Amino acid sequence: MNQPKPEYLRPALIAGAVAGLLSGLPFIGAGNCICCLWIVGGAAIAVKLLAGQTPGLLTSGDGAIVGALTGIVAAVVDTLVKIPLQRYNMELARRILDTLDIESGMPAGLDGLFNGATGALTPGWMLLGLFISAAVYAVMGALGGIIGVSLFGRKAAPQPPAGPAAPPAPPQGPTDAA
Amino acid sequence: MSDAPLSRTVRAAFIVTAAGTALWLLAIFLAPWLAGRGAAGAARFVYAVFAPVCHQVPGRCFALGGHPLAVCGRCLGIYAGFAAGLALYPFVRGLSSKPVLPSARTFVLSILPLAVDGSAGVLGLWRSPIGLRFVTGFAWGAVLPFFFLAGAVDLVLTRRRRRTRGDLEKSPGPK
Repeated sequence: MNQPKPEYLRPALIAGAVAGLLSGLPFIGAGNCICCLWIVGGAAIAVKLLAGQTPGLLTSGDGAIVGALTGIVAAVVDTLVKIPLQRYNMELARRILDTLDIESGMPAGLDGLFNGATGALTPGWMLLGLFISAAVYAVMGALGGIIGVSLFGRKAAPQPPAGPAAPPAPPQGPTDAA
Repeated sequence: MSDAPLSRTVRAAFIVTAAGTALWLLAIFLAPWLAGRGAAGAARFVYAVFAPVCHQVPGRCFALGGHPLAVCGRCLGIYAGFAAGLALYPFVRGLSSKPVLPSARTFVLSILPLAVDGSAGVLGLWRSPIGLRFVTGFAWGAVLPFFFLAGAVDLVLTRRRRRTRGDLEKSPGPK
């Protein structure tokens, strides 16, 4: 296959920034609690952007790469957005949990967090959170990117150039069989 | 198409994915187990790993020894479904041919129950029991390995192809 390597970075930066921003905002960020909605959706959008700027068909491997990059960018933006909002987010979560009266069964991590015992605002915790988010979001993003290829990757195959050329690799189009 | 290098790649991707899935599921149960044994610090770390991907509201989580699992019932359904789909994968697709990406229609149909249940919950139309959340999550999760493995194998094959092409371009031609 002589197709040029797609430019992954630009779509990943755009979609990752939007997904990270949405993930970091109060209330709206809770969308990630539904199967990492913003990350998976952001990665699928990155594939849509990539498909728009790339001639020929995208493979699911392309989707995985751009999706993983989107997830990593989103993790960085998410962390940056959360820095100024962290106290507000914790207070908000505390109020919601109080309203729901579920504090007694709270996971150990959250319990300590709200009691101020974990030092959640320290740079160490922030870096650890960034590392964990980047790893998890990269995997979820890769999955979203692959799904994005299934949703947006289908388009007309380019006409082969005239003259002798190697036969093109079979396109990786979606099939109906799961 | 069933050449040996391709078959090896598919098997390797399958094994790595299965190992990762097993570890992920194990960690979900590890958090309450650690909390139950009084290892609060370790339990806190495991809960923190899952915090970016789940609300972890205890009322919506299954419990182990009185402590909530690290993810909610719906997320557990997704991951359990992923594991089940992965277990079925060799029987449905086999491990000797290149995985084919499922269609967009398959994706939409599998996520529909979860989307309807989740949206209705958010809109306050109904509060589904945790069992139903698990089942709708499971239905979607069971399809995901078919996407994931197709992407993972294609990624490895594409990188290998590009590396081979690069090596060929670098190698000196016949003298």
